[in-house]
Formats: sequence, structure tokens, C-alpha cells
Amino acid sequence: MNECKCVAGLASSAAAACLSSAELRSHRSALFSKEQVRQRSLYPRTEKIEVMLQGPGLQGTLLVMNRGLSTPYSCTRHLTEWHVKSSALALVDGQPWHMHQPLIHSCDLTLLTFKDDDPQIANQAYWRSCAALLGHVLDEAFKDEFSVELLKLPEVPVTAGAFCCDLVLDSRLDSWTPTEVRTASSQTLLTFEERAAQSQNGTVSLYRCGDHVTVSGGPLVARTGLCSQYEVTSVHKVGECEWGVLRRAQGLSLPLNLTAHHNVWKMLRKRAERLVRNVFVCDNSVKQVKARHCRQKHCFNALVSF
Amino acid sequence: MMEAAAGRTRGAAELWFSCIRTHRTNTWWDEHLTEDNASFLKKVVTEEYKQQTTDKLNPLKDEPWPRHEWVEGSRRVGLVAVKLGMMPVWTKSGERHVVTMLQVQDCHVVKHLSKEEYEGHTAALIVGGKNVSPFHRPEGYLEVFRNAGVPPKQKLTTFCVSDNAIIKPGTPLYAAHFRPGQYVDVTAKTIGKGFQGVMKRWGFKGQPASHGQTKTHRRPGSLGPGGDPAKVFKGKKMPGRMGNIYDTTHGLKVWRVNTKYNILYVNGSVPGHRNCLVKVRDSILPTRLENNKNPPFPTFFADGDEEIPEDLYDQDMFQFGEPMAE
Repeated sequence: MNECKCVAGLASSAAAACLSSAELRSHRSALFSKEQVRQRSLYPRTEKIEVMLQGPGLQGTLLVMNRGLSTPYSCTRHLTEWHVKSSALALVDGQPWHMHQPLIHSCDLTLLTFKDDDPQIANQAYWRSCAALLGHVLDEAFKDEFSVELLKLPEVPVTAGAFCCDLVLDSRLDSWTPTEVRTASSQTLLTFEERAAQSQNGTVSLYRCGDHVTVSGGPLVARTGLCSQYEVTSVHKVGECEWGVLRRAQGLSLPLNLTAHHNVWKMLRKRAERLVRNVFVCDNSVKQVKARHCRQKHCFNALVSF
Repeated sequence: MMEAAAGRTRGAAELWFSCIRTHRTNTWWDEHLTEDNASFLKKVVTEEYKQQTTDKLNPLKDEPWPRHEWVEGSRRVGLVAVKLGMMPVWTKSGERHVVTMLQVQDCHVVKHLSKEEYEGHTAALIVGGKNVSPFHRPEGYLEVFRNAGVPPKQKLTTFCVSDNAIIKPGTPLYAAHFRPGQYVDVTAKTIGKGFQGVMKRWGFKGQPASHGQTKTHRRPGSLGPGGDPAKVFKGKKMPGRMGNIYDTTHGLKVWRVNTKYNILYVNGSVPGHRNCLVKVRDSILPTRLENNKNPPFPTFFADGDEEIPEDLYDQDMFQFGEPMAE
């Protein structure tokens, strides 16, 4: 029951409107730390598991790691610095797995980078993490007395051109339109920490980045230092909902080893300013999105698969 | 965060710091692109240029600036052209002259600087010639063109202009801006000859080839008067690097103007190699001011009512097929 209360506490922050944003953030962060400590204590005795590494050049390497404590990140620390820096996501038995999520049983581990032959999964995870970062940036952008409600991070495929974040601002800011939308993200290397919390429906994954805690539908990328170019491109008013005016903020980002020339970046940015309609990751609708304009880098060229 | 795409050059004083290992941040434009992405981008850029040029073809549509009449003493803008080559031309009396062909390719007015911004005496117009790809230019350079709505150019020059001759940025300029019979000055960077001796560089006579000369055939000889100053004067002509500097040829007559391909046929030779970009403007020689009266002012506009023929010839020039006066 403790766990459910935890999650309920995080989800019902709308009820805690009397608290300012900074206090809310520290409250959520404290809850996250408590939950982290609790999950670590699930494995009081150190048990060993065997992790088999797959991938080019690494086939058959066997690592003996600790259950509930070792993460794919610690596996890369046993390899080379290049593996540590370049791996964005891990595949455990074929399932996308966050780099800082602890391994709980013996498995096959594959490390994914952005320059693989088929970087679909890494790309989608990167897109999701950028959306989470966008939420974090918007949360911190406004002064403390204005409340910012981040509703959700819609799952947008990379071909849509921009990642988005739906939010509702304080009712006092109803007539606010962004005059200058510029990037505000910092370059400090913040790690995304991940915890799976038990709730009535099933597992919900929470991610913390610095001070900010988000819920995400899938695994996020290892750390913010992996994004080289990041920009918040536009904020559109989408409609009304019960809490106020629904807005959608969009952004664009590229990873560190795929830096774009300033011209190419400008073209991508122009495309990212257009409002992204809700697209579902299925063949037919994405084909319509793919039809015109800027394609992205070869890593992001998901068009090939359709 | 945006990163500058072009690397910076380092001065000699900074060599000390170049041994520090840093993270390489610059990249060429298609380092991370597939071939079809790269060709797509090139296509997109050409289409964008075409679109921008056609948008600016109709100056009347987008609030042009007022056009004034030519007045004695007003200075108008010039052009940037490409030097194509040379060819002979005959006059009606049978004399042969040579002309240089200068083609005006994609010439646009890019920026206007008012008197206060420029220097306090005259206004200035910055003109660019010959479209160039945006992928090999730094961001700051492309900003001026983006503000004018014009594709990026290879060469930018400034023309000092009187206040009644200012033109809105984005206006295209054509070869018909000059008419046959006018006199122009052409400025360009001369061909670099490298380190040259005093005979080629300054035209010294040198010494005889034989009759006892020992190892002295192309040397400068004496360096000055001798004991009284007991020094070599500053600015003494000596061997050194020659060429690759901007030089102007004054008072060149325009023999012919082709309006279809925008080519000016200008008398004599012009500094620079073939396909180099030159700056052409009305001559400032006082004896040629008579010939430069009543030019198209402030420039030739293609959307005007006047229909000009494809080729405009000077009245002294012999056109093939005419009867010769014996």
C-alpha cells in the first residue's frame, strides 16, 4: 500500500495547488529517493547473475554482476570508455531497458548507440527523453507563483518532425503567447534515474532528471549530455480541457555524434515549428506524415522501413 | 545549443594553446547525412533560390522605394560581374579594339546603409553577385542575405551612393544598368604573381646581358643618392610579393550590352583571371563625365514599360552585315 500511496501522491499534485512549483518539485524528488531506497532494500543479500553481452565485437562476453544493483551502465564500465560514452540504451532479452535500471535476472544484453545499422529503438527513446526534458525546461521556465501542469508526453514518432509536451498553464497566463521561444537547457550532465513503481494497474516507470520527476511510456536515454543541439521551437494552443487552456510545446533535438550543420538545423527547425497532430505509430498514418519536406538524418530515416 | 559550423583560424600567438586537446565541434554539412538526404537538400536549396529570385523579380509588388530622376552630380550604384574573357571589336572606320566580356550573374542589392551608419558623408548600398551554396559559409555571413530575402552571394561590395539613388534591398540589378557609350571603372583582385623581381614588379631596366656584366642582369642597381641622406628612403621599389591585390582600371568604354544574357562588353583589359568577380561602376574621371549623362536612374528595372532590344551597340561600333563606308 505504501507504493500505491507514493504514486498517488505524485499523480494528484493538482490537488496540492497551494504549494509553489519549487516545493512541489522537491517533494516529488524526495518521494522518488524514498522509493529508490525501498527498491534497493528488496535485495538485502548480494546475489550474482550472469549477463551475456551481444553485439558487434562483444559476442559471448560473460559478465558476472549483482542482482538488483548492477545496471547496464555498470556493465559498460567494465568494457571501454567508448562504450560508456556512446551507449544510449540497452536491450535486455530483446526488450528496451534503461541504462540505469537495475538488472534482476541473468539475461542477454545488447548495447544500442545512435550509429547502429538499425537505430529505430534508440531514436524513439531519444525522442521520448527530449520530450521529458522539454517538460523539465517548461516546469522551470516560469516563475514560482505560476503553476505549470504537465499533462502528458504524447508518443510521437521521430518522423513527425518534433517532440511535444502537453501542458496547462496557470489561468492567469491564459493570454500569454511566447514572444521569443529559445532553448534554455543546460549542458550539465544529468543522469536519468529510473525506478519501476508498483501500482494497481501494473508497473509504472518513473524517471528523475536532476530535480524533476516524470512518468514515461518507455525507456529514456542515459543522460542529457547525449544531446548536442536542443531547441524549443514553438508553443501552440490546442484546445480547452477541464483545468484550463491546453497547450502543446514542441521541440527539436539531435544527439551528440550527429551534430547538424547550421543550415540543415535551420530547415529542421522550420519544420518543427509546425503543430504536430496526434500521430499513432502505425503504418498508414505515418506514411501521410512522411510525404513531404525535410527528412532527417540517416539515423532518423525511419521512412526506409515503411 | 547551436555550434558554429566553421572552424576558426588561429593566430601565431595562440600556437601555444593549440596543443591542448579539445572536443572537435565543427563538421562538414553532409557528414551525418545519407546520399539521398544530401541530394534532397541540394535540390531544396536550388528551389529555394529560384523561389527567392522570382519573388524579387517584381519590384513594384512589394512596396518599392521612390524612384528619382537623374541630377547632375548624383552617384548611382554599380554592379558585380564575372569576367568571362576577351574578344575583338571593330569600329566603323575599320580600327580593331579588344573588349572584355563581363557577365552580371544574380546581382542583387543586399543592404542599405544610411549616411549615419556608413561614414557621415554619403549613403551606401551593399551589392552581392553570383549565388553560392549556403553549406560552406558561416552562419553570420548568411544572416544578411536572409534579412534581404536573397540567396547568399559569393562577393559583396559597397558602393557609395547619393541619397536620391538608394534602392530597396532585394532588387535585382541587370547589365542594362549601363548603356553603350558610357565609361566605367572596373575593380578586381589582380592575378597573384608571387615573389617577383624588380624588373617585372616595377618595370626597371636591369643591366645588359653581355659586355662584361658579372652576375648582374636583373638587379635593381643603386638604391639611392648616397652619402648625404646615407639611408634608403622608405617606399623604395624593391622585389617582393606582386599581385593578388585590388586594383582599378579607369575610363573603360562600354561598347555593347547584351540584355538576354546580361553581358557588358568593356574596352581593353580588366584586372583578374577568367571567372573572377569584378566590381563595375560609373567612371569618376572628370573628362568622361560628359558621356555618363542621363543613365538609367537609380537602376534599370526589368518590369518597366520600356522595351529594350536584345543587343545594344555603341554608335561607333561596326556590326557585321552592315555596309562598310570605304
